[in-house]
Order: sequence, then structure tokens, then C-alpha cells
Amino acid sequence: MKALTILPDFIPQEEVKKTVAQILPDMEIINNTDIEKSDAEILVVTTFTKVDKNLIDRMPNLKFVQVASTGYDNVDLDYLRSKNIMLSNIPVANKQSVAEHVIAFTLLFLKDMLNLNEEMKVHHRWPMLTGSRDLEGKIFGIVGMGMIGIQLAKRLLPFNVGIVYYDIRRLAPEEEERYGLTYMEFNDLLKNADIISIHLPLTEKTRKMFGEKEFSLMKDGAILINTARGEIIDEKALINAMKKKNIKVGIDVYEKEPPDFNSEIFKMDDAIFSPHIAGVTIESQQRFLTETISNVLRYVQGLEPLYRVI
Amino acid sequence: MRGSQIFANAIEDLDLYPVFGNPGTTELPALRNIKSYILTLHDSISVGMADGLAQYSGKVKMVNLHTLPGLANSMAFIYTAKMNHTPLIITAGQQDMRHMVLEPILYYNLENVISDAVKFKYELRNVDDIEIAMKRAKLIAQTPPTGPVFLSLPMNIMDMDGTYSKMDDFNFSYELINIEAVKEISEKIMRAKNPAIVFGYEIDIFNAFKEAEEFAEKLGCPVFGEPLSSRAVFNTENTIFAGDLMPGSTLINLSLLNNDLIVFIGGDITLYPYLPSPILPGKDLIFIGLNISPKMGNFYQMNPKLFLKESMKYIEKKCNYSRPKDLTFATKIANERSSLGFNYVMYQTKKFFKDYTIVDESISASYTLRNILGYKSKGYFTAKSGQLGWGLPASAGIAMQNKKVLLVIGDGSFMYTMQTLWTLKKYNIPLKIVVLRNNAYNILRSFAKSYYPEMENSPFLKFELEIERFAQSFGIQSQVAGNDLKELSWLAEGEDPKVLVIDVDKNIPKLFL
Ligand SMILES: Cc1ncc(C[n+]2csc(CCOP(=O)(O)OP(=O)(O)O)c2C)c(N)n1
Repeated sequence: MKALTILPDFIPQEEVKKTVAQILPDMEIINNTDIEKSDAEILVVTTFTKVDKNLIDRMPNLKFVQVASTGYDNVDLDYLRSKNIMLSNIPVANKQSVAEHVIAFTLLFLKDMLNLNEEMKVHHRWPMLTGSRDLEGKIFGIVGMGMIGIQLAKRLLPFNVGIVYYDIRRLAPEEEERYGLTYMEFNDLLKNADIISIHLPLTEKTRKMFGEKEFSLMKDGAILINTARGEIIDEKALINAMKKKNIKVGIDVYEKEPPDFNSEIFKMDDAIFSPHIAGVTIESQQRFLTETISNVLRYVQGLEPLYRVI
Repeated sequence: MRGSQIFANAIEDLDLYPVFGNPGTTELPALRNIKSYILTLHDSISVGMADGLAQYSGKVKMVNLHTLPGLANSMAFIYTAKMNHTPLIITAGQQDMRHMVLEPILYYNLENVISDAVKFKYELRNVDDIEIAMKRAKLIAQTPPTGPVFLSLPMNIMDMDGTYSKMDDFNFSYELINIEAVKEISEKIMRAKNPAIVFGYEIDIFNAFKEAEEFAEKLGCPVFGEPLSSRAVFNTENTIFAGDLMPGSTLINLSLLNNDLIVFIGGDITLYPYLPSPILPGKDLIFIGLNISPKMGNFYQMNPKLFLKESMKYIEKKCNYSRPKDLTFATKIANERSSLGFNYVMYQTKKFFKDYTIVDESISASYTLRNILGYKSKGYFTAKSGQLGWGLPASAGIAMQNKKVLLVIGDGSFMYTMQTLWTLKKYNIPLKIVVLRNNAYNILRSFAKSYYPEMENSPFLKFELEIERFAQSFGIQSQVAGNDLKELSWLAEGEDPKVLVIDVDKNIPKLFL
């Protein structure tokens, strides 16, 4: 069964080719979409390759597209649907990485790391008093208890924090007990938590779920972390809350990516940013690769691939 | 001399005692003069016990089953013995020949039933057949590839008068070697860019641990275990051991990505589940062994121990492999304490059972068990066929000769041949048993999760079993372990058979691609 993989240039092609030759000898690997035509039945891409009408029309036998990442914004879903082509992503490879990223944001704030670093590195000063604080004893609120939420809770356990969570579907009591979780309604969580991390999908219900009212309920000085989707937070309301209530924010995701760097948020002191890479680590890339190979093998075996988007 | 006496004499002279079995009326004539008989409360258990004991002792063992029902009940075990290459003589009673034509109750064509599970089958026609048939049965069971053979014993033959001349016992000699081939293979290894060695279960059968280590250390190249080996393949404490190959083409290819020549010594490639990658494309494959039946590469039938010894003359240092130490191991153990994860359970078990022979029917924990408890000479046994229910009887058979045997078994697997506990009690067999209770057929759930995710929580893959009470009802001491697993020390104490139930992590482990 013929298959085509398109990899961006920065991935070492020779390594991948050598491995793939041992696993699926019928897989061709190229590094751009400049092909005239391909009779492959399977297409494997990263988020860096546009899968649009232009490419799909040159692949008349295409039946299955596997995106080797969580996101698939690069794929024209409507066109695939109209052609009856299956699409799968890999939603399981980056949950550990995102959970660690959230903890990194949390500790950067609590330990006042960026300020201390700047004091010493930029100003060559030896600060005697710091605002550094412990994570132990704080209340950590997780909004959305899916696979990432669970990974985060597991990692928080040894810190001896109170872990509260909100989700539209409450976990079974044994699960709550296992991870030391206390369930709360959304508003109660906002009122109680010192740190809040968002792990929700973007839907009509979650869009701007954090607005004026929600920020008004949060504790002064609370830390908010968003590694989910930019649109879940109303940015204007956030900036207001940062000014009025000293809310701190760690942001990995933006409504538009890359974002508009003139936006006021980039001028705020208590904001730390990363460029949508919470789930992108060297290790998670390896897991994406393994899961991608497994899913393509599943298709070649005649089984239904996992993680179907279409 | 009466047929039954000839039969008993043949068993004694060929050193086949004890006979394992579950009798019926059709067997009584054959058993009249039997000296040593181990009763099992399900027919199949007698085959499993004989299999375990035969493998452990390296001797042919004997089973007597109750004609069609007993034989049919035991078929899976006889197939397992075939896959294990265990030399067994399976016998079954048969109806009186004088009215077979009328198809009386309990008559059936047993040779058809046993089909290709044995390599030799014969129904006695005459009292003087007994001596010859028994001798041939033992010889053929021991001829490589070794395995079970079958004799059907019609009732009336055992009551007939015949003659018997005392037989001298004999054992097959496995000193088979092809000197020229050894030189050729060794030179090929020296010419290869990056060879890898895969050892298999014949290393244990032919007691070649010392030779395997000397060979591996001289060559210096990484040593792997054959996928799903049924016995120990190498001393895994030695850091030249890189780990077991997994039973899937893709995974095997990934483990051996950088090797151009792979030499399988006393082992073969066993696969499950199907994966679409071709197996080791473009690689040079050599197989050496007596029982194995490779499906690819070049096969040289010879005794792996003799090969390893002879090859030492030609090989030189070629690589400098040493397995890196897993520095995350201690953290894993600490993390898994509260959930009783497999790493933690096996790590604690090793503290008390390091010098025990391990029988493994731990199913979804098997990979972790092999990794942590490791392999040593006559130190590891599991069924090669994938059949459940083998572990209990096989470990009981081994424990008849070895006071230090630990069976590690899943709660699902435990239920297939639970009556073995009665035999343990009856004959004072000092077997120690750890039952890993996860209230499910978790390996099936793991398979479902990888391939048919809508089935991973199917109610028909889950159950709750009060194993400790089942054991107690057979008069066997049993406890349920707490999180610090202190009860392992109780389990190791004394020579009574005991059952320890451990409520292990119920999460579905990832075992398939
Ligand atoms: C005689 C027999 N029946 C059924 C099976 C199918 N089977 C393979 S593994 C398994 C589950 C074993 O369950 P358990 O011993 O509890 O171990 P776990 O998978 O939970 O680790 C089953 C039912 C088999 N291999 N042999």
C-alpha cells in the first residue's frame, strides 16, 4: 500500500528514511509539496504542510490523512469531507509536556524567578528580600479534567497543594480519590483557587469563558495559566483584572498566532509568554512519531485508525 | 506376564514415574500394577504438571488420561507441550477392542482426536506391542525437535498375557554439531559491520549459560532475548544483555535497526499481533538450534552449546556494548507504591524470591516481570502457546522437584485450573503463588485500547474474584497483601503451599503499538 510523508526541512530526513525503510518500505518521504502527482493512498504530514485542494487534487488515490500532531488547522476539513477522505490527528502524545509547562509557569511566578534573574543578570544587584513563595499549601484549580488535567493533577500531588477542579462531567469518586481531587462548581473554583489552569477545548460554550464576571470572582493576585486556546479568555477583561486585582498570567496560546505584539498584554509586568509550545518538546516529538507510525500501521492492517477527526 | 504388569515394568525401566493422571474405568486395567500415581482433579492438570516437571528435570514424563473425555479435556495442554517442545508420553485408556465395532460408550478414534499435537501416535493391537511402543515413544519424544507422543491403550490388552524382557533405560544424545558450519558462521560474524546476537530458550534446555556468556563477552556485541521466550535465555544480570525483542515485526526491526547480521542461537522469531512491516528486510539472518524451526534466513541444526564452545576458537572482540543503567527505576518504584504498579510489585517480589524458579502467567505484567526478576539457568518458565491455565499445574510439577518455585499469575489465569490447589495440598507440594488481581482481562483491554477502543470497558472483560477464599477452601493458606507488601515475607516462609493475592494497579497498561 503506497504512502507519502511530507516532512518540513528541519526534521532530519535521512534518519527518518532509514527507519521507515524497515517499517513500511512502501512509504515515500519528501520535504515539500512540489509533486506533480502521487498515487499514494495514505498521506502523513505535520502541521507545517498545508493539506488543501491544491495538494489533494494531485493525489487521486488518497483515502487517509494522518497529521502527526494534536492540531490540524493546516487541513481543509470541508474538502477532505467532500472527497470522503479520513483524517486522524494524535491527541495523546503531548499531555505530559503540557502538564510540565503549566508547572513551569506556576513556579516562575511563585518563585519570582524572572525578576530575580533580571536583578542579577541585568542590574548586577543582590536582592535581599524577595516575593518568592511556596507552592505547598496553595489551592490549585484545574478547569477541564481531561487527559491533560489528569496528568497535571498527578504531578501536583507531591507538592502538597489542594487540587480543586471543574468539568462539565464530574469524575467517578474512585478517580477523585486516586488523584486527590475536590470537585467544585466553576464559580466556587474561581473564588477559592490561588492558581488556575485552563484545559478546555474551544467550543461555543467555552469561548470567552473567562470574562469580567469571572475575573471579579478570582482572588487578588491569583495566577491564571492558559495552554488551551486563546479565545477562552476575554483579553480586555484580563488586562483590566491584571490592573485592578494584580492577576498574573502565563500564556501559551493566542487568538491569532503569531499574535499582535502591539497588544497591551505584552506591556504588562505580570505576564509570561511562550509561543504555543507547551506540548512541543523533543520528547513529545518522539511520541508523536511513534503514535503516528502505529496509526498508519493500523490503517495498513485494515483496521480503523484511532483518533479520527473525519 | 500380564499386560498391566508389562506396562508397569516398562514405566519403571524407562524411568518414567510418577504417572500423572485422572482415571476412568477404561484406565483401570492399565493402572493395576502402577507404583506411583499423582492424581489431578481435572485431566488437563496432569499434562501441565508433567510438562513442568519434564522441562525442569530434563527427563521424559508420563501422563495417563481417560480416553476421549480426558484426552479432549487436555488438548490445549498437549498443544502447549508441543510448542514448548516438552518430551511427554501421553497415554489414554481405550475401549475393549472386542466390541469397538459396536461403538460402545467411551469409544472414539483417539488418534484422530489428538491429530497433529503429537509427532508419534499409536494404538496398541497386541500385548507384545507394549514394550516396543513404550520404548519408541520415549525415543521419539526425545528426538529433536522434542515433543509429546501418544499411545492409546485398549482395556483388554492390559488383561492379556505376554512376554517382557527387562529394558535398559536410554537417553537421547544431543551432541550434534557441524564443525565446518561453525567456522563459516563465525567468520561471517567477524566480517559483519554490526552483528547482534539473539539467544533463545534452548540455551536453558542445553544448559549453555556459561558458554553463552563467554561467547557474548568475547564478541562484545549486544545480546537480545528471542521474543516471548518460554524459558530463560541468558543471564540477564550481565550488562551485555540489551533486553528481549518484542513479538511484532515493526518492533523487532526498530530494535535491530543498526545491525546487518543477526544470529539467533537456540531461539526463533515469535510474533503477535500481526503488524504489516516485513521482518528484518535486507538483513542477514542465521539460526542455530536443535528444536527451532525458522521460517527465514539460514538454519543450521546443531546443539547451541556445542556451537558456542566451538565458535570461541574463531571469534574476536567486535563491539563494546554495555546496557545503560536505568536511573529512573528508583523513582518509578516510589511512584508506583500507592497504586501497586507492576514495577513496584516485581521489585518487592525480587527481594524475597531472587533465587526462586519463576513460573510466569502474569500476562499483562509479564514484560515487567521478565525485566525485573530476570533470567537465570532453570529460573524462568512460561507457556509458549499463549494458553492460560498452564501456569498452576506446570509450577506444581516443577515444585515436586524444587522447593523454591514461585508462580506469578493473573487473577483471570488463576481460574482455569484452580483445582491444582487440591493436588498441591494432597501431595505436600511447596509451591508459592502470587496472584495479581486487577479484576479484569487487562491484556484484552489493552489490545482493545490499541485496536478497538470502543471495547476497552466492555463488561465481559471484567470480574471480581475472592481468590483468597477459593484457596482457603482447598485448605491452602492465603492472604491479601497491603501496600507495603510485607506479606511477601510470609509467603516465602516455610514449605507449605501458599497463595498471596495482590490488588495491583487496575489501569490498562499500554502493551501494543
Ligand atoms: C485457555 C485460554 N482461554 C482464553 C485465553 C484468552 N486470554 C488471553 S490473555 C487473557 C486474559 C488473562 O487475564 P489475567 O490472567 O487476569 O491477566 P491480565 O490480562 O489481567 O494481566 C485471556 C482471557 C487464552 N489465552 N487461553
